[in-house]
Amino acid sequence: MNQSSYFRSRGFHTLLAASLLLIALIGIFFWYKLFRTVITVYSDPVEHFKYGSIGVEVPVGLPYWIWVVLPRVFPDKLPGPGGYVALGASWEMGKELPIGFTKEIVGIERVGVNCAGCHTTSVRSAPDQAPQFYFGGPTSRFQPQGYVRFLFACAHDDRFTSANIMNAILAIYDMPIVDRLLYRYLIMPVAKSSLLKSEKVDYYWMPSRPDWGPGRTDMNPFQRQVLKLPDDHTVGSTDVMAVWNERAHLSMLHHSDGLNPSLTESSRAAALAAGATKSSIDIPAIDRVENWLLDLPSPKYAFAIDQALAAQGQPIFTQHCAGCHAFGGTRTGTVVSLGEVGTDPHRNKHWPQTSADAFNKYANGYPWAFHHFRSSDGYVSVPLDGVWLRAPYLHNGSVPNMREMLLPPDQRSKVFYRGYDVYDRANMGFVSFGPQAELEGFRYDTSIVGNSNQGHTYGVDLSAADKQALIEYLKTL
Amino acid sequence: MAEPLTPIERTERSMAARTAAVLFMVFYVIGLFLFRRFNPNFPVVYTPIEDHFKYGSIGSEPANGIPFWIWKVLPDMFPDKLPGNGYASFGFVYEPGHDLPIGLSRRRVIIDRLGMNCAICHTGTVRDTPDSTPRIYLGMPANTFDLQSYLRFLMACAADGRFTADNVVRAINARKSLGPLETLVYEQAVYQTREVLLERARQTSFMNSRPDWGPGRVDTFNPYKTVQFNFSMDNDHTVGATDLPSIWNQTPRVGMQLHWDGNNDLLQERDKSAALGAGVTPVSIDLKSVGRIENWILNGLQPPKYPYSVDETLAAQGAPLYKSLCASCHEFGSPYVGKVTPIGEIGTDRGRLDSYTYDFAANMNLLYAGYPWRFTHFRKTDGYANMPLDGVWLRAPYLHNGSVPTLRDLLEPPAARPLKFYRGYDVYERKKGGFVSNVATEKGKSYFLYDTALPGNGNAGHLYGTQLSPAEKDALVEYLKTL
Repeated sequence: MNQSSYFRSRGFHTLLAASLLLIALIGIFFWYKLFRTVITVYSDPVEHFKYGSIGVEVPVGLPYWIWVVLPRVFPDKLPGPGGYVALGASWEMGKELPIGFTKEIVGIERVGVNCAGCHTTSVRSAPDQAPQFYFGGPTSRFQPQGYVRFLFACAHDDRFTSANIMNAILAIYDMPIVDRLLYRYLIMPVAKSSLLKSEKVDYYWMPSRPDWGPGRTDMNPFQRQVLKLPDDHTVGSTDVMAVWNERAHLSMLHHSDGLNPSLTESSRAAALAAGATKSSIDIPAIDRVENWLLDLPSPKYAFAIDQALAAQGQPIFTQHCAGCHAFGGTRTGTVVSLGEVGTDPHRNKHWPQTSADAFNKYANGYPWAFHHFRSSDGYVSVPLDGVWLRAPYLHNGSVPNMREMLLPPDQRSKVFYRGYDVYDRANMGFVSFGPQAELEGFRYDTSIVGNSNQGHTYGVDLSAADKQALIEYLKTL
Repeated sequence: MAEPLTPIERTERSMAARTAAVLFMVFYVIGLFLFRRFNPNFPVVYTPIEDHFKYGSIGSEPANGIPFWIWKVLPDMFPDKLPGNGYASFGFVYEPGHDLPIGLSRRRVIIDRLGMNCAICHTGTVRDTPDSTPRIYLGMPANTFDLQSYLRFLMACAADGRFTADNVVRAINARKSLGPLETLVYEQAVYQTREVLLERARQTSFMNSRPDWGPGRVDTFNPYKTVQFNFSMDNDHTVGATDLPSIWNQTPRVGMQLHWDGNNDLLQERDKSAALGAGVTPVSIDLKSVGRIENWILNGLQPPKYPYSVDETLAAQGAPLYKSLCASCHEFGSPYVGKVTPIGEIGTDRGRLDSYTYDFAANMNLLYAGYPWRFTHFRKTDGYANMPLDGVWLRAPYLHNGSVPTLRDLLEPPAARPLKFYRGYDVYERKKGGFVSNVATEKGKSYFLYDTALPGNGNAGHLYGTQLSPAEKDALVEYLKTL
């Protein structure tokens, strides 16, 4: 039998067909186990906001079982006991994941993040009470920086080995044998190297910046991780913003410095900063959240209001605040220059025109390309809907409560603790002082770069009685 | 085409085939022997449900079991670490004809291992007089058993320098001669057992800075924080020790807020949670076995009747008092039974309530992750749940932390309740409804002095009925005996 007749023989064809079939089967197997993507659809818009995917799982989804065991294997790398709750995650009773975390299938189950992690406010009426969650509000507890740092720290640790993590998983879950092999020899090593790579490529700038602490972020994820712009060493720590009641905000500028007038662009850009890529971003899912936020009302003050006192505060508000902070105010939702407002300038300088230009080119060719990014010379005078939940105040969260907002800057607290979610009814804000706030909270030092509590001196000269009345009125907003 | 084989080749082939067959047989026989000898995960099965409850395995042996022979010889090796004579000195309940106490189960995981089951905390005894034989009641709180001391004994043995493979094997050989293979396996088992026990000792070291539980009590959730989740206890100073509950008559409890603080209203989760406490893992739990017990406490096990004479006239006087003062919170079918009364209203010791934190409850959502029975019902509450009073005569001492020795004492204002008393003694006090609580030692056995001044041990609160006259209180107690 010579060679060419062999290639034409039935035996060879059978062998060829069998080989191709085998290769195809192996291919299907690996596709199924590593790439098959199944995204959960939540019919309820609130559930979608809390647990629905915005498209980060494919690029940065952490394998579910690794996510489950990391806090148990590396409790020493968390700020305290409580697993992910120690990082401020808001966890509804009975739910598998905290609010703002998603579980989707990308081959295996993977955990991602969404808008709700940073945009859900946790409030306790007293230290021994279970927290209440307010959707669309700025997080009072969650530390986005703490979360990525925890993952990076685990990946760096010598104990992060396939054997160790696998032992921890198998102690609580009888994983099917095929998944065990995949986890041990493929998923685990890839997860570790992906985390280390992300730290090096996307988050290299983080160690050189002051800590955000709970409830704050900056624009570096936009500029370094998404746009890959070189590090300009600026500091831009800012409070997470409320995203409720957006229909009333549609004509206003978004972000603390007003870097975009389009809610849609702001929402999509935030998803990119949260880890979505051009190919993975789930535009319809984000649009769905955005549509829901349009008419999500800001929550009513949860405690008693002295209505008579509030009525006395109303004219004070109208006289001193409304022009910039009431819906319909002439300057509401516009940029007030740094020179005029006098607050910490760092966040403004942290978003230069070059970044805006880069973002406007970033998604060229995509139907969702960006066009409206800009830079400004100040900060937006935001409307005060639900302001009671938006403490600490000023764009950088440098003033613990409303009472201190009405003090001259040199009398405001130089150090306080944020991230403790027990409400301070007397001062309108969260409890920011005392042993428990120190234990559970993050030490905010106003002398650190970007953390200044200067400026915005409106109302500081009011009488004590007027301030009291004004605060009472602000609770009604 | 293959050529025909030569005769020599044929012989070689058949030799090879024969050798292979013989080798296969040898390995098969060795394999069969090893399988039968060390067949993994094989519990001792008990057909009657009562025996299953008392001695059957719920799956606590694979991760937290102590190899049978190691367990046997620990009292031989470390008598100095025991409170008295043998394991019985921890207050275990023994039945005649049984080698093991009630509450310990046996399962082969390579070698026979002992684990804890439900009965260890939910079986108690009553003596009519100091000289009577103890009567065993299944499903009642383990009034005599000191779980913490037992666990501390095991952990202390493991931490002792004398706990070596050589010493343990020598001690076993003094009772039963181990073959060479078993010796090897047991040597390995000593190392493994020591590792597990030292890990548990590290995880539960926080117990040493809290008051001792004493017999009949357990801190359910604090060890849970460290054993399941490796939480640091550095800033957690909560004291969660509480009385063990009775587990009979569960059907009318379906849907109630279970556990002392009412943190879960799904019975099946409550049971799977308790099983974790007994040492199962989500992987090792024997669901069929737990299900058998669940079915029995739902549909079979009833509260035992008060075995002594009741003054019916007096009880009849107590009945209306019960109806007006107790029933709305404690009677099946009443509006508040099985619901939580806020701590500010009930006023009892808040240690246990505070030990169950929101952070911990949140993490419990991941217990049994990956299985359809993942926990979904744990909640942080703000008080203590109102328990039904079936078989209440056997559930002394009273209040969630067992801080009041008898029913009659519970009807006194807190200032008049005993400040210190003894627990673990099982002679019944018929007049007051509870156990005799003033015996420090008897026949060489010491009982546990409960001090209400210690953290978590407070006997304040629950003022209902404290305003009654002494005669009314006596009548009410008489009525409560009939429940």
